Amino acid sequence: MTRTPDHRYPVGTVQALLDGEHVTAPTRAALQARLTDPPAAQPDMLGNRVGLLAAVCARLVPQSGSAPVDVAGMLHARLATGVGDGWRYADLPPDPLAWRRGLEGIGETAQAMFDGDFTGLTAGDQDAVLHAVQAGSPAGEIWRELPAARFFETLLAAVVETYYAHPLAQEDIGYAGMADAPGWQVIGLGEREAREPAGIVA
Amino acid sequence: MRRYRPADIVDAVVIGSGAGGAPLLARLAAAGLSVVTLEAGRRWSPPEDFATDETEQNKLFWRDERLTTGGTPLAFGRNNSGIGVGGSTLHYTAYTPRAQPDDFHLHHDFGVGVDWPFGYAELAPYYDELEAFLGVSGPSSYPWGPPRPAYPLSPLPLNGAAQLMARGCDALGFRTSPAANAALSAPYYQPSIGWRPACTNRGFCQAGCSVGAKASMDVTYIPLALARGAEVRPECFVTGFERDASGAVTSVIYRRDGADERQRCRSVFLCAGAIETPRLLLTTGLGNASGQVGRNLMAHTGLQLWGSFDTAVRPYKGIPGALISEDHHRPADADFAGGYLLQSIGAMPVTYAGTVARGRGLWGEALTRHMRGYNHVAGINILGECLPSPVNFIELSDETDARGLPKPLAHFTAGENERRLTAHADKTMRAIWQAAGARDIWTFDRYAHIIGTCRMGDDPADSVVDRDGRAHDLPNLIICDNSVFPSALSVNPALTIMALSLRTADRFLARVAQGDI
Ligand SMILES: Cc1cc2nc3c(=O)[nH]c(=O)nc-3n(C[C@H](O)[C@H](O)[C@H](O)COP(=O)(O)OP(=O)(O)OC[C@H]3O[C@@H](n4cnc5c(N)ncnc54)[C@H](O)[C@@H]3O)c2cc1C
Ligand code: SF4
Repeated sequence: MTRTPDHRYPVGTVQALLDGEHVTAPTRAALQARLTDPPAAQPDMLGNRVGLLAAVCARLVPQSGSAPVDVAGMLHARLATGVGDGWRYADLPPDPLAWRRGLEGIGETAQAMFDGDFTGLTAGDQDAVLHAVQAGSPAGEIWRELPAARFFETLLAAVVETYYAHPLAQEDIGYAGMADAPGWQVIGLGEREAREPAGIVA
Repeated sequence: MRRYRPADIVDAVVIGSGAGGAPLLARLAAAGLSVVTLEAGRRWSPPEDFATDETEQNKLFWRDERLTTGGTPLAFGRNNSGIGVGGSTLHYTAYTPRAQPDDFHLHHDFGVGVDWPFGYAELAPYYDELEAFLGVSGPSSYPWGPPRPAYPLSPLPLNGAAQLMARGCDALGFRTSPAANAALSAPYYQPSIGWRPACTNRGFCQAGCSVGAKASMDVTYIPLALARGAEVRPECFVTGFERDASGAVTSVIYRRDGADERQRCRSVFLCAGAIETPRLLLTTGLGNASGQVGRNLMAHTGLQLWGSFDTAVRPYKGIPGALISEDHHRPADADFAGGYLLQSIGAMPVTYAGTVARGRGLWGEALTRHMRGYNHVAGINILGECLPSPVNFIELSDETDARGLPKPLAHFTAGENERRLTAHADKTMRAIWQAAGARDIWTFDRYAHIIGTCRMGDDPADSVVDRDGRAHDLPNLIICDNSVFPSALSVNPALTIMALSLRTADRFLARVAQGDI
């Protein structure tokens, strides 16, 4: 059986790249800020549901490191800017209303399925709630008006794109594209350039 | 840069500075006309402003909200169009294949869709000119289509995905070729522009080229236009027009720094892309005597197929679209009209993760495990025909944006032809990836490029502009962008949009020379 490729980089790899000479100034500025600056504090856009969002994020992109990426905080900060992806399914309300309603819906489904707050459920029960929302017909009043599967897709894409934009998540997948100066000469199959670190496992 | 005053009556205002707007801007300026382009976005300085980071580079995409609906709703934003001096060419992958002659007469060949009012021969000289001016890298002899000159620069190097596609295609007997890329494989000089450097294989074309190797409009036709006396006015969002008693447009109204300004002009070239162009016409009620504005929306079938390989690919390196096959341009066993081309694709991490989320619905450990194999994934995709349909169109929604203008609403449902073509391509690509040694193969059904929403044609009853791009019912309004395509063409659109742009300028200048304008 072939082993699943696993290309994690050792902890600190991306910071070392950023500290080195192989990163252009604009790239370093963007990544270093994301790495060191906590998401800016925002007026509450989610009607007291940032904690719930954080619990959802923890299931969608589970993290094992000692300093987890604050995905919910980053999403909340982005919602406050009012600039989204540039498009939205016409059957979803605008952000951040869709987010408020959708998180409320997840809370309702948790109550209906397990008789408790989502944040207090076991990981397995939380996953069951999220699977029900993803599948499209979860229990809960909100979902009569808000298409659950569409909302889930939008939420998941935002969470995942926010998480994998973070240097620590990029370290976790062995991505070295931020080492963008002076460009790549060794680009063929199975070829690794000297400044591309080797993964832990692969 | 030459600057005009709003009270000056310029020969032409060009709205938008992308693939449709920039080449004609340079052409009109070179002929001595006074021209101003109004561009909604900023003028960037790529070496200082462009990071190798997708999130930072989201600034290149059009992020005013668009609404989407239908059986297969279209994704906009990063999947669709750009903003800034250079338009969507700021983030295009720079794939620049030519359309083939039969692309222009689908109706003649299959009895569906519509034919172009002119054919390949009309555009061929412009293709020649563009490839030489932009510095397109490609093979010395191209296996498909009519005889053509060698590309001016040798091909860019093949990255892992391209090598895998070559391996799979070889095994199945499909021909491949290094692709035509409007990115330089060697430094290149053009008068009025100077030297542009070679591609550094940074793999981030879709997030903007920080080195200027990619032939986006901001480093090619815009500097040429400026050198010939055009004015480029960034951060000016056009909202309307003023007209005289005969109905002709006399000035263009735009918003800059929150205030309305106007530029007087003799003619207007509307090149705002296939959503904003019909949106502006629908909000102002112009050019729509036919009722066809916003209709005939097409989007290329763009199925992506991904797989994992034992050998590391590191899919962030190299020009993303290095290899092409046009062997399925008109497949012998097709149960559909038209055909498709195959291309290898790159994978930037955030876009790839988002594709996995939307396309496979993976999350939790299943997602993080999959993403740890990111360095081993490679993809290929198609670009295929799409037929116009009455159920596919752009209209104005009831919601307004921050400027108080109605947001556009796009309806799109893939039809029988698109579904059959996609199924054929799925089989072909799956076989190629299996032959190349892929495991865990999966597909992302996707549609790319908005096309056809202000169709060109000879009959004013079923088209918006004539064969020269003039609105049938408003002769001093000319449209040139992806919206005027009568059919989708089974190739990436940018080179053909630019060819049309040069042709539109030449037709206009011919009328100027005759004293018609
Ligand atoms: C990720 C991605 C990759 C792509 N890769 C390729 C490729 O490899 N090859 C290819 O051929 N094509 C590619 N394309 C498509 C290609 O970029 C577009 O088809 C092409 O640029 C469209 O040209 P256009 O002139 O119609 O519009 P654009 O190039 O989008 O230009 C329109 C301009 O008008 C401006 N504008 C709009 N409204 C207003 C207004 N009201 N006032 C003022 N200005 C306004 C916009 O800001 C923009 O600058 C890609 C697209 C995407 C999204
Ligand atoms: S791959 Fe080449 S052309 Fe594309 S962005 Fe990078 S340097 Fe520019």
